[in-house]
Amino acid sequence: MLELSSQNVQASSDKAIVVEHLCKVFNVTKGVLRRTKTQVVAVKDVSFEIDYGELFGLVGPNGAGKTTTIKMLTTMLIPTSGTATVLGYDIQKDVKKIRERIGIVLGGERGLYTRVNAIDNLRYFADLYGVPVNTQEKRVKELLQFMGLWDRAQDRVETYSKGMKQRLHLARGLINDPQIVFMDEPTIGLDPEIAKETRNMIKELAEKGKTILLTTHYMFEADELCKRVAIIRNGEIVALDTPSGLKKYVKDTSVVEIEGFGITEKEVAKFKEVPEVLSISADLSENKQVLKIQTPKGSEIISDAQDILKNSRIYDLKVKEPTLEDAYLRLVEGSVK
Amino acid sequence: MPQTLRVIYSAFRMAMLHWIADPQWVIPNVIAPFVFTFVALTLFKEASGPFGLYAVLGGGMMGMWGNTLYSSGFAIEFEKWQGTLEEVVATPSNLLHVIAGRSVSNALFGLTNMVAILLIASLVFKVPLGVANPILFALSIVLTLLSVSALGLIFASAFVLSRYAQVFTNGLEFPIYVISGSMFPIALLPFWIHPASYLLGPTWGIEAIRIAAAQESVSVTFCLNVGVMLLITLAYVMIAAFLFKKVETKSRRDGTLVQA
Repeated sequence: MLELSSQNVQASSDKAIVVEHLCKVFNVTKGVLRRTKTQVVAVKDVSFEIDYGELFGLVGPNGAGKTTTIKMLTTMLIPTSGTATVLGYDIQKDVKKIRERIGIVLGGERGLYTRVNAIDNLRYFADLYGVPVNTQEKRVKELLQFMGLWDRAQDRVETYSKGMKQRLHLARGLINDPQIVFMDEPTIGLDPEIAKETRNMIKELAEKGKTILLTTHYMFEADELCKRVAIIRNGEIVALDTPSGLKKYVKDTSVVEIEGFGITEKEVAKFKEVPEVLSISADLSENKQVLKIQTPKGSEIISDAQDILKNSRIYDLKVKEPTLEDAYLRLVEGSVK
Repeated sequence: MPQTLRVIYSAFRMAMLHWIADPQWVIPNVIAPFVFTFVALTLFKEASGPFGLYAVLGGGMMGMWGNTLYSSGFAIEFEKWQGTLEEVVATPSNLLHVIAGRSVSNALFGLTNMVAILLIASLVFKVPLGVANPILFALSIVLTLLSVSALGLIFASAFVLSRYAQVFTNGLEFPIYVISGSMFPIALLPFWIHPASYLLGPTWGIEAIRIAAAQESVSVTFCLNVGVMLLITLAYVMIAAFLFKKVETKSRRDGTLVQA
């Protein structure tokens, strides 16, 4: 049975994380002889708070600023301006205190010592986190058992499957029994079954009372796991609410999903010209194309669709209730006022 | 065990586990210095004076410095390749202590290298290696190794910042052999190189090794060489600590920590 500490251990704040007007600007230098400097704004004026024991989601497209935000909160990056506290500690002044009390789980297959076994990986990080030597062995065993890796604990990590590596990432993130766990796209690149397994692990951790900040670009994942979700776009938070609260942004709309063949960018552009189309996402694969059209007109748009797609073949056409993904798409495309 | 020592030991242990898992280090660490020793001994076969000792120490130094320079720098590159640098930096431990643990393991491999060359020269090439004071000889080798490791630690900080640091260290390999006097006496070098030679801990270490090989008693010159080397080594450690702190802050500000 994995023992995790109580989440009532707090510093001087009644919130686990407080972020106020956080900004990060990177200076990028180009050229060799004629060097030009440009500035890239990765995060601008981001503010939010996370309660103790909350599973909070930060979602957004690639390059939106999710990872930069997480890196600033985990003290890996220094913000350009703004302030943030983690467990009441300032992210710029109290670096060591924050690092002692948090865990980080990154997605992907890298980030592990693949030539050594799982026990040696965890023991090494236990030492770096200052886990007392007399409790290390028990802690490592409990974590590997909790993650279902104990039977393979002596095998080199390079022989592990993707899912096993991700579980080892999770175990490593918990080695110091952190009060807050930061998870940066923990299910990225995993097959559906393993991703589900990982989500169940995250759920279990949340049930045990851990505060979790999770970034993802899978909306169903945020919907399933998170108590509240912040949607970030171009470095700014465009919405922050519970998943059901976010769905209300699109409650007056329906989603018309069209599956067909012969649909091109030209047809997609025509749909965008229809005044009642609030947003459209298109998967224009070679063999089959799928359009998701958000509109307040519902089934009334079908006649417009048939007209636009008169030269294409329509396999299927459905009118659906909007999901969190639809709310996200509309928010990210900036059509919600 | 204090936390700092625990981190150094743990990093040392992790490096050893990787050395064992990946024994290809044998090739550059043994073969190249062996070839150098062979060439030097062949060239100076007929010469008078302590050329045998120079050839052996030159080969040993080559193994030691090459190993430390590459491995200390490689310690950061290795973490980048594995994708573990972020995770290591995100811990409350000082990155300098982690890299120091790896450097000590590299130094240990450098030591095996030196011993191998001494054995090869003595047993295969029958070079007379009469060491007057074996204890001081061994002690000065160990201290020179630590000095070389501390020098490597300074270069390791460059790897946090730049993906081109390898090019920089490649260019430093041979100049160090030459100006530290491991290949031939510093007196043979142009006078304007001498200041650079005397700023290198290994220069004093090599001299101490030679004195221990030639003299049985503990001389003032031996103590002076060891003392200066220790002071320079301490300065290297302090410079490395300063650089690591600066480099970490800069990489946290610029976001350059994980660029591979």
